[in-house]
Amino acid sequence: MSGNEELLGIGDGALASLERGEAEVVITDSRSELTRFAGNEIHQSVGERFRHIRVRLIDGGRTGVGEVRGHGDGAVALAFAAAEASRRVTAESDVSPLPGPPASGGDETVAYSAATDAATPQDRAELVSIITEAAGTHHLQAYGALSTTTTTTAVVNSAGVRRSATSTQASLVAVVRGHDGAGYASRHSADIDALDVPGLAAEVVDTCERDQGATPIGPGEYEVVLSPYAVTDLLEHLGWVGFSALAVQEHRSFMHLGQKLMSEKITICDDATTNGIFPFPFDDEGVSTQRVTMIDRGVCAAVVYDTPTAVHDGVVSTGHSLPQPNTWGPLPRHVAMEAGDTPWQEMVGSVSRGLYITRFWYVRDVHPLRTVITGMTREGTFLIENGSITRPVKDLRFTQSIVEALADVIQVSSERRLELGEGESGVLSPWLRIGRFSFTS
Amino acid sequence: MRHLSERALDAATAAGASYADCRVINRTVQRLSVKNGVVASVELYEDEGIGIRVIAGGSWGFAGVDELRAGSIEETARHAVDIAKASSRVNRTPVRLAPAPPLIGEYTTPFIRDPFAVSLDDKVGLLLRTDEAMSHLPQIRVRECSLEFVREQRHFASTEGALLDQTIIESGGGLDATATSDDEVQTRSFPNSFGRHQVCAGWEAVEAFDLPGNAERVAEEAVALLTAAQCPAGTMTVILDATQAALQVHESCGHPTELDRVLGHEAAYAGTSFLTPDLLGSFRYGSEHVTMTADSTRAPGLGTFGWDDEGVAAQRTVLVDQGIFTGYLSSRETAAAIGQVSNGAMRADGWSRLPIIRMTNINLEPGTSSLEEMIATTEHGVYLETNRSWSIDDRRLNFQFGTQNGWEIIDGKRTRLVRNPIYSGQTPEFWGSCDAVAGPAEWVMYGVVNCGKGQPPQSMHVGHGAAPCRFRNVRVEPSR
Repeated sequence: MSGNEELLGIGDGALASLERGEAEVVITDSRSELTRFAGNEIHQSVGERFRHIRVRLIDGGRTGVGEVRGHGDGAVALAFAAAEASRRVTAESDVSPLPGPPASGGDETVAYSAATDAATPQDRAELVSIITEAAGTHHLQAYGALSTTTTTTAVVNSAGVRRSATSTQASLVAVVRGHDGAGYASRHSADIDALDVPGLAAEVVDTCERDQGATPIGPGEYEVVLSPYAVTDLLEHLGWVGFSALAVQEHRSFMHLGQKLMSEKITICDDATTNGIFPFPFDDEGVSTQRVTMIDRGVCAAVVYDTPTAVHDGVVSTGHSLPQPNTWGPLPRHVAMEAGDTPWQEMVGSVSRGLYITRFWYVRDVHPLRTVITGMTREGTFLIENGSITRPVKDLRFTQSIVEALADVIQVSSERRLELGEGESGVLSPWLRIGRFSFTS
Repeated sequence: MRHLSERALDAATAAGASYADCRVINRTVQRLSVKNGVVASVELYEDEGIGIRVIAGGSWGFAGVDELRAGSIEETARHAVDIAKASSRVNRTPVRLAPAPPLIGEYTTPFIRDPFAVSLDDKVGLLLRTDEAMSHLPQIRVRECSLEFVREQRHFASTEGALLDQTIIESGGGLDATATSDDEVQTRSFPNSFGRHQVCAGWEAVEAFDLPGNAERVAEEAVALLTAAQCPAGTMTVILDATQAALQVHESCGHPTELDRVLGHEAAYAGTSFLTPDLLGSFRYGSEHVTMTADSTRAPGLGTFGWDDEGVAAQRTVLVDQGIFTGYLSSRETAAAIGQVSNGAMRADGWSRLPIIRMTNINLEPGTSSLEEMIATTEHGVYLETNRSWSIDDRRLNFQFGTQNGWEIIDGKRTRLVRNPIYSGQTPEFWGSCDAVAGPAEWVMYGVVNCGKGQPPQSMHVGHGAAPCRFRNVRVEPSR
């Protein structure tokens, strides 16, 4: 694994050879390993290591991009040649300027753990065995994956940006299945030693045992308590369809700044600067990532920007860029919902009849402007009657507007959990009690 | 590449592997896009590396690296063996592979014109002409069109003696027109949604799409949807166009016939399957009109190749025969678990990822009807075109799909355009209600370029041949 200075040096060398125009070089060194288990045995265990180089050239009003993985010492030259070939065929247009260096040092908090970086296949196998043994003891079968990743990213450009950082991530997900039911749990952290593996094992086995013998329940509107696993899906989809400045500029976002659309209990921000959500100091343009509050006590407050959308609106980028140029626009990748004041274990006690949802699955946008999504419940859906969970129920399909659901929030838990969404971005989610949630089949 | 694979296999064997194979891959990708009259991106991507898969101590290990130097390759091979040995401390059941003959050969995608021999200027020009054709309607807020070309050289070798070289060529393109009003957003796409349609073929495939010639019509359809009536609700007859039928096949037949899902290998992520081995050969999956195949020999599908990524030859397998469930997609390991041999469905997303069971070309075989005949013999229903949303449960039974538009059918006539249609059902009941499939003249091989599966995640390009088809008594409604 290369150090930050080595990658910056490669970027500096690449820029030194630039004869005209402007350039941006993004170099990523990645080493990731993953141990996967099924039926209480490890059935797949893998590792990969690579360097990815991305060059953006701007000259004469034209932008070109070249990307290379592999190709050894010739990679930088190959990426530059590809970018120049690309640049020559693009039309002259209003190209997005390269951002300059940050005005001050700013917050450089990075999610990093030496233990994660040094984790071995043996370490992962030992942690996995905690779960498989717990499942086996209860005559259940465990399935899941434990991954560790170390990534060093360097961004340099001819306008003076020179940023680099090394981050780590450890992620453990588990499903435990019995004869007629299943449970799910996950834990994520920068530090593999901080993963509460025994706690996860106990949680997933408990959910699985309570899920046995589920019976059908009819579709309709139910009061629900959503676990953080389920809330994560709602927050991630809001980010995809509405929290981007480009979505607003293209009139396809639900966000109308200043309008109150959700319960005043709901505040949603994007925060890459604290230790809570895999902090990382800059985006794919090397711009410092700012904390942005998108929903403030139910009111649409702000959206996130990259350089092109910021130029369009005459504002400053919030540091939420994906690799430029792109057609998707900026994206919040460290979303957090502010905690409430209700201990999550008290939420069920207030529900006379409703559903406790552990997890959603295969969530897809049905009508992005109205934030309507559909998906299934999975691995732990329970009926709540008179303040207690009384029995497991068969999985249900829901079709629901996220905004309407968040307008009908009764309680937000005081506890939150760090989750990974389907798009693998970090999300800090509480439990939510929602008055009505629509299940369609 | 052979000298590299020999290094890898020798190092793995010396470290204690009882079996090893490796794939050396060089991949070149061109992606071009135009958005709202501007060349949004021209990205040229080069990728190379080696993936080494071993069995040691009875367990699998896999490692990949992008440094094709002898020292790195040998170190990576030893690391793969270390990974396998670590797993073997937890495992009780040694890996068992079904026999497969070690094959030697070469394969290249059939094409007429190499897409990489066509200039970037010509490609950009095609996109700009496409964009311009969509630009005359003020309600069109976003115009996007794109092309993608892939050349992948794959070298496969195993300690059993397999030695295979393949060059796969892909060409794809598509357009999207998004219209907006104060309270509505509607998108129409061509030839398929989610960016593009792609096949294993040359530049001739993109020319045949005729993106500029279809752009204005598609833009007009997006604008018309803004004020179209909401889709009617109720239980009615549904006719799917070939693109939506292709995705229905993908989700409700392709995935549940993956044998690794059936055996629980994907239980924590992609899910399992309702098509358990005890149902093989007897379960009524659909009506007698429904025959589905996995066919990696059928050009120009994105699942067309010479051999899969563990060296098993391309072949055709009948998955559903006139409605009866008859076959799985399998690998050497999973086939052995049910007493069969592999039918060649192991595929990896590049050199850095482990081969897992993936779809090849999963096809709904053509029937004898036609779209015109199906509409003419429908009393009341909807004809649905082009996927907009899709969701299905982890056993592949409970599904809900939305399409970009629909046409209401009344008394055998296609009448008014309707917007926001969704339909839902249960897989065997749905395919059991199929009473007509259009014939070969309307059968098209479509490509899906975003099929996700596996941990770490892998995205696969797969093919689906399909034709318009009709279903009775389906629940239909507008999205709210």
